[in-house]
Amino acid sequence: MSDEAEHPLVVEGLTKDYGSVLANDAVSFAVNDGEVFGFLGPNGAGKSTTIRLLLGLLKPTSGTARVLGADIRDEAALTEAKRRVGYLPAHLGFTEEATGEAVLDYHGAMKGDSRREELLELFTPPIERPIREYSTGNKRMLGLVQAFMHDPDLVIMDEPTAGLDPLKQEAFNEFVRAERDRGTTVFFCSHVLSEVRRVCDRVGILRAGTLVELADVESLLHRSGKHVRVHASDAAVAALTDLDSVVDPDRFAEGVQFVFTGDLNALLGELARHDVRDVEIGEPPIEDVFAHYYGSEDPAPEGGGREATGGEDGSAEETGEKDESAEATNA
Amino acid sequence: MLETARYEGRRRLRGALFLTAGIGAYTGFIVWYFTVLEGVDYEDVFEDLPPAMLDAFGIESLSTIEGFLGAQVFSFVWLLGLGLYFAYVAGGIVARDIETERMDLLLSLPVTRSRLLLEKFSALLVPMIAVNALGGPIIYLFVVAVGETIAIDHLFLAHLLSIPFLLVCAGIGLVFSVAVDRAAIAERAAVGTVFVLYLVESAVGGAEGYDWIQYLSPTQYYEPTPILIDGSFEPIDSVILLVAFAGLLIVSQVLFERRDI
Repeated sequence: MSDEAEHPLVVEGLTKDYGSVLANDAVSFAVNDGEVFGFLGPNGAGKSTTIRLLLGLLKPTSGTARVLGADIRDEAALTEAKRRVGYLPAHLGFTEEATGEAVLDYHGAMKGDSRREELLELFTPPIERPIREYSTGNKRMLGLVQAFMHDPDLVIMDEPTAGLDPLKQEAFNEFVRAERDRGTTVFFCSHVLSEVRRVCDRVGILRAGTLVELADVESLLHRSGKHVRVHASDAAVAALTDLDSVVDPDRFAEGVQFVFTGDLNALLGELARHDVRDVEIGEPPIEDVFAHYYGSEDPAPEGGGREATGGEDGSAEETGEKDESAEATNA
Repeated sequence: MLETARYEGRRRLRGALFLTAGIGAYTGFIVWYFTVLEGVDYEDVFEDLPPAMLDAFGIESLSTIEGFLGAQVFSFVWLLGLGLYFAYVAGGIVARDIETERMDLLLSLPVTRSRLLLEKFSALLVPMIAVNALGGPIIYLFVVAVGETIAIDHLFLAHLLSIPFLLVCAGIGLVFSVAVDRAAIAERAAVGTVFVLYLVESAVGGAEGYDWIQYLSPTQYYEPTPILIDGSFEPIDSVILLVAFAGLLIVSQVLFERRDI
């Protein structure tokens, strides 16, 4: 099985049809050994469906995948492979009344916990307390410890940094890079572009159940630009929107927001020439990236996207993906 | 091996002790109440009741401690109360984990679905055994404390033979638990089913032509009062219950294996 050694995760024509929704439509890709692979897509694109298929929680309508060489349709083989797989779900459904320690003991008894102490120094959930007292961040850290403590060869993570404070997020990013350097393969799912750019080697982009692109991160970011929001006078707004690299300007009462795809210094130079009351420059929400580079199928996001931009980056939690996928597909 | 059963069983320990303590307290009250009623010829009170009702409540011989316990403790608590309780709790076993997405995490562990289901269900044995293994001695001590006597072997049998019955009730809950996504629905459906079966059994008991319906109810196959009074029971009843339980377990396994989570 040299294929297993080279590709811990191989997805072949994976399809999940719920009847009303085609959550995954013939998705195919392979994750190389020892890489961090980002699985990117807006909420409702079908990312969690792919992960659930990989873990054997869902049965594929057609196609299959191999996880560490085990066919996901073969329960016995997949169960055996899970000894070497770590999983961090988007929503951590721990036993609320149990202490973190009891949960780790249980998981450890099932799959091993050789790295538990080392991980508890890095991520510090209060393991002696019952989980119902945990903050979202503490739950996430407990989830990270259980996902890595048996020293798995492949780790699957769904929105791993949702709820972590910025310091812990940075610690997490560093940790993932170090894990990769020790040879662990990481597959992680996110709708936050900035998260993916910091740690991933390669990215697969899923949209409405279809894999639209496999790209390396640099080329993706190069095309995604910056999301800019400026509060300024009308004259300043007019001058800014005339710049070459401004895409999709959208005016509001006190200013304008747009995506800037050119050299950031040129933008800063232009901003300096005007009386600017406030400016925000950040990662564009991934929905906008899709709208710009793959063409929007839905005319609505122009208006709908405006409200979403504020909290989109980093803080947004992925919930109800199954429901939203209906929207994405029907649109 | 059995890590899940151990983990889940430990979680059930506290509830099992509270349950046993509650039933113990109720039993204490009933035994005390029996001494208060002594001398009252209250069998006359029940004489006018329809036989179906007497049968439903397991009322046979209220003037003896065995008959009194059979009616007030075993028919009410074991047959109805615990039957509904185990149906309810089993209804939550899988459905609650699916609802809270805990099942995702559990199934990411190296364990097959059938093994996980069996081990999670087996954790229910903790309250089931606790309530009988501790409840029996508690009842005995109360009875002795008020100066009455009860045959230990009959009491032991009444508890032992309740296990297959309670397993069937829990099995009904388990089937709903794997078939439904939401815990509240599975729990209500399980309780409702066991309760309706109990009512139907009581109602059609005397109805000619339709009395076969009573054989659908698990309550038909466990009659604690005669066991307590003279130790009489039909072994075939327990066999029927165990076979039904095995059937429910197999149905649950098949449904759980095939479903998407």
